[in-house]
Amino acid sequence: MSSHASHSVSNSASVNVSSVTDAASILAANKLEVLIERFISQLKRRQVTGSYNVAIATCKFLMRVTSISRWNTAQEFITLLRLIGKKITDAQPREFSIGNIVRRVLALVRDEVNVKIPSTVATSNESNTIAPVNTSMFQLLVTTGKEKENNNNNNTSTTTSTSTHSSKSDLRSIIIQGIRDLMDEVQSVHENIELMTVDLIHDNEILLTPTPGSSTVLNFLLKASLKRKFTVLITENYPNDIEVCHGFAKKLANANIESVIIPDSTVFAVMSRVGKVLIGARSVFANGGCVTAAGVATVCECAKEHRTPVFAVAGLYKFSPGYPFDRNSLIEFGNSGKVLPYDDCDLVGKCEVTNPLYDYVVPEHIDIYITNIGGFSPNFIYRIVLDNYNTEDVDLS
Amino acid sequence: MPPKNNNKDAGEDDQKMQAIVLADSFQTRFMPLTSVKPRCLLPLANVPLIEYTLEFLAQANVINEVYIMCCSHSDQIQEYIDNSKWTNVSSPFKKIQTIASKESRSVGDAMRDVDSRGLITGDFILVSGDVVTNLDISKVLEDHKVYKQSDRDYICTMVLTQASPMHRSRSIIEPACFIMDKATNRCLYYQDLPPINGKKSSVNIDPEVLEDIQEFEINNNLIDCHVDICTATVPTIFQENFDYQTLRSDFVKGVLSSDLLKKHIYSYITKDQYSARVESWQTYDGISQDVLERWCYPIVPERNLLLDQTYTYGSQHIYKENNVILSQSCKLQSGVVIGKDSFIGDSTEIQNSVIGRSCKIGSNVVIENSYIWDGAVIEDNCIIKHSIVANDALIRKDVILSPGSVIGFGVVIDNSVIVGNNMKIIKTPINEFTSSANISSDDSFDDDNSFKDNENSLVCDPDVVGINGVGFLYEENQYETAETSSGIVYEMEKLHLSDSSIASSSITVHHSNKKKRRTHSSASGFISEDETENFEEEAIATVERAMENNHDLDTAMLELNTLRMSMNVTYHEVREASCLAMIKRVNHFINTATLGTKDAAEKIFRKWGKMFQRQVFDDDDQIDLLLIIQTICHKLDENYKALLFGCIAVVLYDIDILDDENIIAWWNSKEAQEMPEIREKVNKWIEVLQEESSDEEESSDDEN
Repeated sequence: MSSHASHSVSNSASVNVSSVTDAASILAANKLEVLIERFISQLKRRQVTGSYNVAIATCKFLMRVTSISRWNTAQEFITLLRLIGKKITDAQPREFSIGNIVRRVLALVRDEVNVKIPSTVATSNESNTIAPVNTSMFQLLVTTGKEKENNNNNNTSTTTSTSTHSSKSDLRSIIIQGIRDLMDEVQSVHENIELMTVDLIHDNEILLTPTPGSSTVLNFLLKASLKRKFTVLITENYPNDIEVCHGFAKKLANANIESVIIPDSTVFAVMSRVGKVLIGARSVFANGGCVTAAGVATVCECAKEHRTPVFAVAGLYKFSPGYPFDRNSLIEFGNSGKVLPYDDCDLVGKCEVTNPLYDYVVPEHIDIYITNIGGFSPNFIYRIVLDNYNTEDVDLS
Repeated sequence: MPPKNNNKDAGEDDQKMQAIVLADSFQTRFMPLTSVKPRCLLPLANVPLIEYTLEFLAQANVINEVYIMCCSHSDQIQEYIDNSKWTNVSSPFKKIQTIASKESRSVGDAMRDVDSRGLITGDFILVSGDVVTNLDISKVLEDHKVYKQSDRDYICTMVLTQASPMHRSRSIIEPACFIMDKATNRCLYYQDLPPINGKKSSVNIDPEVLEDIQEFEINNNLIDCHVDICTATVPTIFQENFDYQTLRSDFVKGVLSSDLLKKHIYSYITKDQYSARVESWQTYDGISQDVLERWCYPIVPERNLLLDQTYTYGSQHIYKENNVILSQSCKLQSGVVIGKDSFIGDSTEIQNSVIGRSCKIGSNVVIENSYIWDGAVIEDNCIIKHSIVANDALIRKDVILSPGSVIGFGVVIDNSVIVGNNMKIIKTPINEFTSSANISSDDSFDDDNSFKDNENSLVCDPDVVGINGVGFLYEENQYETAETSSGIVYEMEKLHLSDSSIASSSITVHHSNKKKRRTHSSASGFISEDETENFEEEAIATVERAMENNHDLDTAMLELNTLRMSMNVTYHEVREASCLAMIKRVNHFINTATLGTKDAAEKIFRKWGKMFQRQVFDDDDQIDLLLIIQTICHKLDENYKALLFGCIAVVLYDIDILDDENIIAWWNSKEAQEMPEIREKVNKWIEVLQEESSDEEESSDDEN
């Protein structure tokens, strides 16, 4: 029974299910296959976009995967998750929150399984209030001989089927609960970040934000406006986010925040009056650098010139364990038509037009990261990453 | 369990639509390659064309059933679809079906087949299988719903994109003019605009059409990508009007100008979204470049439309799949796509090109604006510009492919061969081609037949492919030569020059359509076969009759105008015919010695020259008139032709048909200088005119 079921697991990841005789497992494998393919094509077609939406969608997806997939040992499940993770991160390679969520879930599973050094897990767990692990479960897992399984990748488990069964269903529910918590965390990101507004923004201060597309920045400012009175300068982010910028300014204005839209080119000129620069990050890397909207790197450069502090706001789910070695692979290039109107036949095809959507901001240009678990210096990001991810899962392939 | 995002629940079902993909183009523009592979499976940026269409439909997320209508090579399309991701359980379509409609010879036939099969149950999207677009169909569908509710006669919405007239992805073969009601976006009238003999053509609008319309727009700057949202009545209309062949020039025009149908067609014009159809070599080239340069974002190569693709983007629009081997000294300039397992040799330079999978490019090769399909091998020192090298072709050392050349599937070009401009080489000659009667849809050649031919005739064309080469020169028939004459080469000036030939070809194609239509139904038999020729004869006869019988000038003009309208010819031809008639008359007088040259010209042109008042409108027309007269006179007797021309010109100047500036403009024009003997007599006169006009200018300057 045990070997049989394990066979079906390895197959569920690949297309070929012919060798599996058990009808139920074929069904499950098929269902999983469809689930994965659907999610991938959804990501590929950009039917889900934006780090927040993608993170939530990934959580939901992984929850379904956990409940549908067939596996016998945690190790098998980890292998499966890694495989799926690789596939879905490739579907939108520059949306890092997909990979982050997958890695968080992997870390969750590994923490559950890792009974060899439960004490370290517990301590790291204490420092990390975000992904709480149900410690009481450890006892249960210890007794089921998971240690052996963990050492043995080939799953030649010698444990009795009954104990595997009980532990498996327990593990499954623990993981699902863990993902649910993760989802709660993602959903409550804004609330937690907002708690810090009062300490960071002073009365009559002039703020500059070059990322009107960030809902985290928006919520941060809206929350701050309840206690403080300040002015916000917003760069117009031509050509990609110009409508977004107008919407952003409108929302701020509705909340009685004095908001001024400035052209991207005047950032240096106004910087001397600016008290703080507030940026939203799309993804934060272990070295403390971040990927954000195009044009922000220039703004940060200007801020540095004027010794203006730069605050980056980001939820924990945007923290990525990777290092930005290849800048090209981080930056998405968008529609050239936004830069040069397509019907301009005198120029189309005669000059090269590129429209980068993102920018990479080096860690030296950022003074502090404001996250839902507190404010951190860019130097400290690696530590947070280490707390939340398992080093084995940095590379999914 | 949390609900899944794209759960197709019952609630959404009423919004689901059907889609009909017209996989066959019913054209021969991609011959000879389409003799082996249907157009919709030709790769564009290494993805078969039909994928772009299906992706567009999938993106919409409202399509339930997709029917792919194919005619030629339907087995290949069927096989492709069966093995594609679209038939997986995870496919966004509940049903995707290829329908072989072997008898279809036009879009109209395919639509009638759709109707007789009873496939359509409600609103559907009609799209051709060669559309590349990033259009967001949901907005169009919203409009569609509004129109459907508010207008009982609504039948379809056409999706059109704005672009400037000379744009690279705009169809220069099927230029068309749309007349729209500005307030409602209702299309009032449609006419395709073949420029006749390079001259401007006109659009005739029935004033009735524009009644009750506050404001209307005439657009001819639209890329028509053949994406239509239709109601279920559309196939029925095709069924009822069994002479409709094409979607636009028959169906749209027919519906809009029909008094009986009284149906309304709306248009949706997008400005910032990309959409275009791959319908000729030019548009193939243009759209490929657009995709590489990310005008069609997010439809870009690294979108990896095929499941097994692994493209990644690099700066300067360079896209590479995994496992591409580039030698260290090769140079990839902007806009390059390279497929898996391809190898690029030393010092090779590639720009604005697409290289397929498993291609081998040798050393010191130059590839510019070219498309190398999967498995092609190009050996050292070749130069390839503006060309297409199809799958598994072998180009040996030191070969030069000149702009516009197309190397067919499996062709071998031997060492040091130079392939000339616009040469199309195929592995197996297409014998049936010449005998084939159906010009409008001869994409449909059976592979089996042509392969059998291959076995019989292993002799190759050494002049074209070299001694050890394999391949034949593909002889285009006359209909095509003109259309493809500018080939893949995309250069504005060239296009401009070849406009006329393209136009004439589209007329001939049109003719053949008409001929065919006549065999279909005797009802449309009144259309004369050779309109232009007939017009000339008729018009000359009219003018002659008028002169002989000394008719009223107005009557003659009215007659001529009626003739012009009914035959749908340009003023240029009217002028030509009337000049011819008048000069004939003058010539007659001179030859019979009834009158002297000067008197004869004076007599005829003084009176009948006034006819040109209704034929000559602007400065260009005046110059054109002079040129016509000059050309006609040129053919006359040596003795008096120059004098006659001078007299005519002076008379026309006197009766205010010609202005002095335009005469000078004609004098200086290149065409006029080609016939010097005619010019000598007018030389003096021109000088006088020039002085006069300069005097005038001076005096007006003085006044100021």
